[in-house]
Amino acid sequence: MKEFAYIRPKTMAEAVAARRQHGSRAVVMNGGTDIVIQLRERLIAPDYVIDIKGVPGLREIAYDPKEGLIVGACVTMNELGEHPDVAANYPWLAEAALSVGSKQVRNRATAVGNIVNASPLCDVGTPLYAANATLIIAGLMGEREVAIEDFITFVRKTTLGPEEVVKAIKVPPLRDARGIFSKVSRRSEVDLSSVCATVLKVGREFRLAFGAVAPTPVRLKATEALLNGQKLTEALIAEAAILAKTEVSPIDDIRASREYRLDVVGVIVKRSLSAWL
Amino acid sequence: MKYRVKFWVNEEPVELEVSANRTLLNVLRDELYLTGTKEGCGAGECGACTVIVDGKPVNACLVLAPELDGKHITTVEGLAKDGELSPLQQAFVKNAALQCGFCTPGFLMSGTALLQENPNPTREEIVRAISGNLCRCTGYVRIVESIEEVAAQYKGGAR
Repeated sequence: MKEFAYIRPKTMAEAVAARRQHGSRAVVMNGGTDIVIQLRERLIAPDYVIDIKGVPGLREIAYDPKEGLIVGACVTMNELGEHPDVAANYPWLAEAALSVGSKQVRNRATAVGNIVNASPLCDVGTPLYAANATLIIAGLMGEREVAIEDFITFVRKTTLGPEEVVKAIKVPPLRDARGIFSKVSRRSEVDLSSVCATVLKVGREFRLAFGAVAPTPVRLKATEALLNGQKLTEALIAEAAILAKTEVSPIDDIRASREYRLDVVGVIVKRSLSAWL
Repeated sequence: MKYRVKFWVNEEPVELEVSANRTLLNVLRDELYLTGTKEGCGAGECGACTVIVDGKPVNACLVLAPELDGKHITTVEGLAKDGELSPLQQAFVKNAALQCGFCTPGFLMSGTALLQENPNPTREEIVRAISGNLCRCTGYVRIVESIEEVAAQYKGGAR
């Protein structure tokens, strides 16, 4: 990899100032499991790497039944997936976090990094989309909060400003919620998703989020509208599975074909909902 | 630009001037001549470079050298104590849990980290814990059995 300067800010204000000072010549590094590979492959060639792991408070996971869950920017996938409050209240999020890469990768990779990378197949994307999670973003003017659906705009594109750093993910409390995370990949361990999904039932409301079937993770709003408030029947589930396929736009790539992905979307809708018949 | 880092490798303090564009793997092999840690893919897929950093197994190829400041690192060279191989190393030797040997240091580190965390893992937990390590020779069976054998020795608190 080419030479660069390593900056390790000690506060969020320093991190934001470094972003402001170096602009597009800098990249923010967290766990580094994507950034270091991109540096090595020379896919990126920044003059500055800003490592935010020295900023205090970013390792925290906090849960409150009224406030929900806060996941700090430097919380690793293993820390998230193994946290008792996450496992108890958002088990499908825990499962998604533990489905990423290998144990070695999960000890470094972070949930926030997964989202900021904005890959269409980011594994913690669909649980967070389904949970209506928000991102807390620090900038020069203080903090702002943005819905995850408004944050990721396209393949590897977000609305993160050039002078901003993501501080945490906020997941609202969910009452009477049940959820199923699914990951279909070529091998069961250490692989990227061909299709991933989280299907939630919150009271009588249904939320369906899919990854790797569009330029960003997507919520299937029409399918959700079909299901909301309804009693699940086999006929309704079959109808939902057909409708779901019309709400995604998968592509062919090395992991799977468009046709296969469309089929899998239907299968995941059917399997997930059938669990609650 | 160089960065001064102080860290510990196999309980020995180390102080070095490192470049930002070097990895922990480069530092171990090229600066400290600890060549037991191998480079396979260099992209966090194969696990040949697995080392234990502050108690957790990580891919040394994905850690930048300046990040090392203050860290405690264990490599395969740190497993033997007083000239005696660790129980897991002995089990690998006894069971011939290797053929070409290139992946072995990585498996030993993943296996050691697992047993430190969970001295009584199930077979499924073992398989998951080593799923980030690729071996193209053995078919994994003897590796899994070696970890199981050491876990069985630990049962009953005899660690």
